[in-house]
Amino acid sequence: MLPPFALERPDRLEDALALIGDDCLPYCGGTELLMAMKLNVLRPSCLVDLKGIAALARVEWRGDSLVIGGAVRHASLAADAEISRSLAVLTVVEQRVGNARVRTQGSIGGNLCFAEPRSDVATLLAALGASITLASSTGQRRIAITDFVLGAYETVREPTELLVEVLVPSARLKSGVYLKHQYAERPTVGVALVREGENGVWRLAVGAVGDVPIVIEVSSLDEIDAEAVADMTDPIEDISGGVDYKQHLVAVYVRRAVQAAAEDLGA
Amino acid sequence: MPDLEPGQTHLHAGRSVLRPDLIEKVTGAAQYCVDIRRSGMLHAKIVRSRRAHARIASIDTSAARAMSGVVAVIVASDLAGLFARFGHIVPDHEILASGKVRYYGEPVAIVVADTEAAASDALDYVDVDYEDLPAVMSAEEALAPGAPLVHEEQHRRVDVDSLSPVETGADQGELRTSNVAHEATLEWGDVDSVWPVAAAVVENRMHYPMLYAYAMEPYNAVASFDEGRLEVDSTAQHPFMVRDDLARIFSLPLAAVTVRAPYLGGGYGSKSYTKVEPLAAVASWRTGRPVKLVLDVEESIYTTRADSAEVHVRSAFDDQGHILAREIDIVMDSGAYADNSPLVVAKSVNRSFGPYRVPNLRVRGRSVYTNTSPASSYRGFGAPQGVLAGETNLEQAADRLGIDSAELRRRNLVRPGEEILHGKRGIDADLPADLEMVVGALREHAPEDQSWFASAMACSASDAGAFPVSTATVRVQADGSVIVLSGSTEMGQGSRSALAQIAAEELRVELRVVTVRQSDTGATAYERTTGASRTTTLTGLALQRACQDALSKLRSMAAEVKGCSADEIAPSPAGFALPGGDTISYGEVVRSWFGAAAGEVTGIGLLRREGATAKMPPFWEIGMIGVGCRIDPATGAIAVEQLVTVGDVGFAINPQAVEAQDLGAATQGLGCALFEELLYDGPQLMNPNIVDYRVPRMRDLPGRIDAMLAERRDGVGPYGAKGSGEGALNPIAAAVATAVARVVGRWPDRVPLTPERVWRLINETGPDDTTGDRSSPREG
Amino acid sequence: MTTTAIAITCTVNGVKVERTVEVRRTLAQFLREDLSLTGTKVSCDVQICGACTVLVDGQPVSSCTHLAVDVDRSAVTTVEGLASEGRLHPLQQAFVEQMALQCGFCTPGFLMMAKALLDENPDPSREQIIEYLDGNLCRCTGYAPIVAAVEQAARVLGPAGGDSNA
Repeated sequence: MLPPFALERPDRLEDALALIGDDCLPYCGGTELLMAMKLNVLRPSCLVDLKGIAALARVEWRGDSLVIGGAVRHASLAADAEISRSLAVLTVVEQRVGNARVRTQGSIGGNLCFAEPRSDVATLLAALGASITLASSTGQRRIAITDFVLGAYETVREPTELLVEVLVPSARLKSGVYLKHQYAERPTVGVALVREGENGVWRLAVGAVGDVPIVIEVSSLDEIDAEAVADMTDPIEDISGGVDYKQHLVAVYVRRAVQAAAEDLGA
Repeated sequence: MPDLEPGQTHLHAGRSVLRPDLIEKVTGAAQYCVDIRRSGMLHAKIVRSRRAHARIASIDTSAARAMSGVVAVIVASDLAGLFARFGHIVPDHEILASGKVRYYGEPVAIVVADTEAAASDALDYVDVDYEDLPAVMSAEEALAPGAPLVHEEQHRRVDVDSLSPVETGADQGELRTSNVAHEATLEWGDVDSVWPVAAAVVENRMHYPMLYAYAMEPYNAVASFDEGRLEVDSTAQHPFMVRDDLARIFSLPLAAVTVRAPYLGGGYGSKSYTKVEPLAAVASWRTGRPVKLVLDVEESIYTTRADSAEVHVRSAFDDQGHILAREIDIVMDSGAYADNSPLVVAKSVNRSFGPYRVPNLRVRGRSVYTNTSPASSYRGFGAPQGVLAGETNLEQAADRLGIDSAELRRRNLVRPGEEILHGKRGIDADLPADLEMVVGALREHAPEDQSWFASAMACSASDAGAFPVSTATVRVQADGSVIVLSGSTEMGQGSRSALAQIAAEELRVELRVVTVRQSDTGATAYERTTGASRTTTLTGLALQRACQDALSKLRSMAAEVKGCSADEIAPSPAGFALPGGDTISYGEVVRSWFGAAAGEVTGIGLLRREGATAKMPPFWEIGMIGVGCRIDPATGAIAVEQLVTVGDVGFAINPQAVEAQDLGAATQGLGCALFEELLYDGPQLMNPNIVDYRVPRMRDLPGRIDAMLAERRDGVGPYGAKGSGEGALNPIAAAVATAVARVVGRWPDRVPLTPERVWRLINETGPDDTTGDRSSPREG
Repeated sequence: MTTTAIAITCTVNGVKVERTVEVRRTLAQFLREDLSLTGTKVSCDVQICGACTVLVDGQPVSSCTHLAVDVDRSAVTTVEGLASEGRLHPLQQAFVEQMALQCGFCTPGFLMMAKALLDENPDPSREQIIEYLDGNLCRCTGYAPIVAAVEQAARVLGPAGGDSNA
């Protein structure tokens, strides 16, 4: 049962920015927010519906870079033909977010702002070197995704700020693989391995296992030491495994990702 | 009507007919209890304990009562004048906690409001002040010397021979000295004399987890108390037994209480006996209006779970592998209230040692109170707990003796007709033949790649069918159509369709003219329970008798209206053949006899412990399972590549439905073997939700499924039928544990075999590590 | 303007519906309680089990975690809208024939999810069916008959998929 709240439905971004705050939360798909309200984790008095704001619903290319509006749904990204051609690894991940219902409802901005540690999208974006733009009534700032997420369910976003866009720089030049171990409802380990250009650097991101993804840059796959990467992680001990088991899984999946990258990308 | 083909002996029985209830269900028309609304209906929500064990110092309901829409807030003291407890074995279960709470999640107060939202909004405004008491969170803690008592008072057992309500206070005064809720034992021969002379003595210990059945429709009820009459619609598998509990609470005649169970969204035993009905009923009694109460999944998890168990088995063998003796100790964590756990542990005792020749036996089972959520029935009913330990013990013996485990079973399995419980019905199944079906299927479809793969089997026999008290009524209408009345409940298992097939068969009518109405204590025939796989067998027998009764009456009436002797009238489709070659339909008989296009003829069928059903159990439910498991050594994840089920059902009224039951039961069993476990962390569960309580999903589907039926017409039920629905679950965890041990080379000491546990089993360094810390969820 | 109730207009199974709805009401509550369309079932209530799946503008959503006011100007399809002119939809027929349900509580969700799949991909592979329906839970059947039913319905519907029977 949802607790009582009011709903605002602005159609201009500035109106939304004027409304949001401590007790008045941005709302789009509701896949995380409404669940948290049902479980009594959050009790806002007001939700600000972002679905009527066209500016937040756009996917566009600026040169080689991909810009995704904060309210774009996973289903749109999963079905986007241009993304599929130019950044196939994002398509692969978006097609496997939750299930088709979650993809229909959930937005990329909501996914990132909730900072659920086991978000596949956040792990991949970390490997892609993505940044996000936070806007408020007084201005906006761009932050690397790795600086945006502080911990489990914790970001640098101020209550008056809204995630308006996600930027994947040089997206057309990037390619990668994403593998995850998913035993229960959410992944235990997610590993993204992305390369920029034919001979560019590799960025490895390991997510789900700890509070925040860890990211490593190497110039060749040979430099990746799976055990060393596993040692760098700080796994959350929970129902899906203890620390040593999860670190073991990290090593397994890093090795599998390296192998997949070598095979799929001809590295 | 289908024609009899050569070799077929029945018109309807034995055919995979389309179940009519499924058509209602795919259109969304089927009504479940949660869909029911009554005019003037209020909504209830429950304030629940946030402590495992605490004295209730005070409850302040004033702020909640002042909220908009709130009609009443009910606490234990408002139930004065009622017998405010229930429990069909030990009436220890308080409707609302009085004095103290015994588990996190226990109902403390009921908020009743004009909308569900208003009731929900007011929950936080009921202020309960607790004084913590030391809690016992496991059976081990509860059995320790000097452990705090979950129940101080010994409640007198319900006298099953008397219907008089227990008077308030009459059963109080006796004090308990331990947390053992019930102890059951079974013994013959001289176990102790065997150990020294045996060729091999094999000992093992297995932990069986706390489980949640997750019937997808959560517990709910709508109650209406008015002028000394109570009507309740609820998600009850056994509406007649719920009626008895409710009548005792309000001191009402049984006939003044009506309990109805519409379609149930799953049961699997978890909706046996009384659950939320007293809460809804007292809310209606206090407010004078119909009250609906719908639990969410978390509340449902805290309402009933399966008993976890720690089972220790010791078996002795001669050098040829014959069992000389078995000694088994079962300790079940039954939670804060007894509910059906005394019977679960008693059944576990009977089912733990297997369908083998065991010349010397000693089994002890204890059901223990703890400050955890109450445990009760769940599909398999004590069998899975005992069989997991008993069958893995046998497999370990096979290793020790150097005898193939199938061969070891061949040497010990009882033959048809042999007793495994002295004085009880002999085994009404051919277990050695069933065994060969599994062995053959596993061998025939064994994968070429045997790396990190092993197959295994396990078997079980359950004294099933429960107590044979069943009745059925058949009403033949003036157009020849037929209404069947049965108190059994349709919870997905297909009883409505199977009973229609039996009635159509007996009356020689088309299936489409038969309508089955079920589970309404005020309108349908009596049925003691819907559990223990009994309906096809026991209700089926009562229904056959009801049909014969109706036919006998119709025949006499036909003779009367046609002026002939009843002996001259022969059966014919949907009617009778008369002397001289004419036929008369049932409709014509009814209309002619009443002299109008009206009337009906009623047939009654009664079943009790006599004749074919004199001996207990009414039948044995066999479990015979094979699995092939492959392990990913890097992650520990298990893929079930083969599943073999043998439904030894005597005769399948609807073969497709029996196979479907077997696959469903096996899949739930795989859930327990691989994924499912409720885990306590301090006073409360870590995973009381479907996010973290991992049930089988579509991607877990076994790679190959061989569902086989063994139809030897050796059951006591209609056409030789026996029950089905639990058998495929009971031994499957043992089979999976064995397959894992064969791959890994070490024996697990518990299920579920989660990827992490399997990985740890693979990577253990020495035998001493195999036991681990039993209280920790991540060990093993 | 801050509001706790909103007037919405939508179609449900092709029927126009105009209502003023409290914003905290979920689509499942709106369908089941306000419109008496009780075919849609709620089980886990946290969008895990899939029992409450309905289609909004052809896309599957968990109606337990979807605000009713968000279907304003949308077309909602529930299990009650699957059969047409008294004939079962091929998915419904296949579910009955394959015995892809027992208690039936998860079935409306499976049917709507399967319809969304076949609308998008009329000829799914077995792996695609399993991947798409993995987020729906069933406790009775063991899933194999459900896969068989979706495969059967896909064959019956042919390359046009669900669109011809929408």
